[in-house]
Amino acid sequence: MTLMSVEQLTKTYQSTNVVDNISFTLEPGKCVALLGPNGAGKTTTLRMLAGFIKPTSGTINFSEENFKKDVRNYVGYLPQFPVFHNWMTGEEFLIYVGQLSHLSKQEAKARAHELLELVNLIDARKQRISKYSGGMKQRLGIAQALIHHPKLIILDEPVSALDPIGRREVLNLIRELKKDATILFSTHILNDAEEISEEILLLHHGKMIKQGSIEEVSDSQDTVSIRLAFSEEPKFIEERLKEIDSVFKVVRQEHGFIITVHDLNAARNQLLDTIKNEDWQLTKFEVAKSSLEDIFMKAVTE
Amino acid sequence: MQWTTIFKKELLENWRNFKWIWVPIVFILFAIMDPLTAYFLPRILETVGGLPEGATIDFPMPSVAEAMMMSFNQLGMIGVLITIVISMGLVSSELKSGVYELILSKPVSYTNYITAKFTSILLLVSVALLASILVAWYYINILFGSISFTQILISTFFFIIYFMLILGIVMLFNTFFKSQGMVAFLSIVTIIAINAITSIYSHVLTWSPGLISDYIGVYFYSGEIETETWFSLAIAIILTIICLMIAITTLKNRAIE
Repeated sequence: MTLMSVEQLTKTYQSTNVVDNISFTLEPGKCVALLGPNGAGKTTTLRMLAGFIKPTSGTINFSEENFKKDVRNYVGYLPQFPVFHNWMTGEEFLIYVGQLSHLSKQEAKARAHELLELVNLIDARKQRISKYSGGMKQRLGIAQALIHHPKLIILDEPVSALDPIGRREVLNLIRELKKDATILFSTHILNDAEEISEEILLLHHGKMIKQGSIEEVSDSQDTVSIRLAFSEEPKFIEERLKEIDSVFKVVRQEHGFIITVHDLNAARNQLLDTIKNEDWQLTKFEVAKSSLEDIFMKAVTE
Repeated sequence: MQWTTIFKKELLENWRNFKWIWVPIVFILFAIMDPLTAYFLPRILETVGGLPEGATIDFPMPSVAEAMMMSFNQLGMIGVLITIVISMGLVSSELKSGVYELILSKPVSYTNYITAKFTSILLLVSVALLASILVAWYYINILFGSISFTQILISTFFFIIYFMLILGIVMLFNTFFKSQGMVAFLSIVTIIAINAITSIYSHVLTWSPGLISDYIGVYFYSGEIETETWFSLAIAIILTIICLMIAITTLKNRAIE
C-alpha cells in the first residue's frame, strides 16, 4: 500500500520549471530524504505535497479511507524557517494551531501537553515564543507539525540551521517519530540523510535524478574506491599502481591514494600481490563503499 | 469552530499589544476635543489675554447638532487614519513574516481567515467609535444642550457601517501587498478618491457611501433620516462584501515566495 503517489508533478514560475515532471511514491512507515543542492526545487516540491500551493500540472494522490478533500488534514508541515506568533507562549501557539486543525479545545490542550513533553519544551511552555532560542523554535515547529496526528510529516531542512547539539536532538526526535508516521524531509546535508532515512530522492534543477533505497542508489554505482596509505612512500608508486590491470584511476591525496576500480575482487588480489612482492610498507587498506556524497557529487556534476 | 479560534486569537493579540486600550482612548480624545475647544475658547482667550484693549470678539456658540458633528468630523478624519494604521498589517504582516506559511499548512479555510480577522478588527473599531461618541455626547449634553440617545445610537450605527467599508478596503489591499506602507497608502488614496468623486458628482451619486457622514449631519439638524441614507448604507455593505470576496480569492491564488 502506498501512502502518497506523485505523478508527473510540475511547477512553473515565470516560464521556468522549478519542479520538472517528477514522479515517486511514499510507502507508509518509511523515512525518506529529499536531497538536492540549494535551488533544486526541494521547498517547492514539499509545499505542493503539503497541499498549500497548487501544482502547474501533475497529480498528488493521498490514499486514505474517507479522505476529506483537503490533504492538509493528513499532513504535518515544518517550514524551513518556521515563524510563530511571537507574542504567544509555546503552549498557546500549539493549542491555537490544534484548534485550526479542527481539534476541540480539550483535545488541543491534551495534545499540546503531550507534544511539549515529547519535544522537551514542557518547562518553557509558559514562556513567550520571542524568548525561545533557535533550537527551541525548531522543536516547537516540529511539535506544531504533529499536532493533528498527521499520517505524513513533511520537514523542510529540519536540521540545517542548528548547532551540533540542536541537530542531534532533532535527529533523535525524527528517529522517534519514524515509529508511527511516514516522514519526508529535505536536506542538503548528506550525513543526515544517510543516518536516518531509508530512501532518498535526489533532486537537481527540478528534476528527479535518482531515487530508491540508500543501498540501491549506492549499488547502482559501477565503481568502488580503495584507499591506500604507506608509512614510507615507495619510489614511482603512482606509476606502478597505474600499471595494474584492474586499476581504473589513481588519485594522490594528502595521506596516500584513492584508487578507483571496476572489479573489486580482481583489484584487491592484484594490489595486495604487488604490495607483498614489492614489500611496500602498507599502513592502510580500505574499501570505501561509495558514500552518498560521491553519488551526490557525481549526479550533480554530470 | 475554526472561525472562532482565529477570531479569539485576534482579540487576544489586540489585547496584548494594547490596541484595546489606546484605540478607544485616542478616539475619545479626538471626539471631545473640538466641541470642548469651541465651548471654552472664549474663556481661554479671556484668561490668556493678548487681545488689544477693548477688543471684543463674539464667538457664536455652536448649536447642539453642530457640536455633535464636530465630533463626527474629527472621527471621520483622524478615526479613519487610525483605523487604517491598526489594520494595515492584519494579513500583510503575516505574509511578510512567514507565519502565514505555517498557518496555511493547517487545514485553514481562506474565508474563515479573512472574515475572522475582519470581524475582530471591526469589533475593536466599533467599540472605539461607540465609546468616543458616547463620551462626546455626555459632554455636549452638559455644555450645549440635549440630544436624544436614540439619535446618537442610530448615527453611530451608520458611522460604523462607513468604517466597515474602510476596513474592507484595507483588508483587500492587505492581500495584494506584503508592505504595510503600500497597503496604507493605497487605502488612503482609495478613500480620498471615493470622497472626491462623491463631492464632484454629489447631485448624481446620492447613494455614495462617501455621503454617510453628510447624512448623519442632516439627521442631527432635521431629526429625519433621508431615504438616500439607507441606499448609501446598502452600497457600503455591498462594497465591503465585494472587497472581502476579492481578498479571499486573491489570497487563495497567491503564490508564496
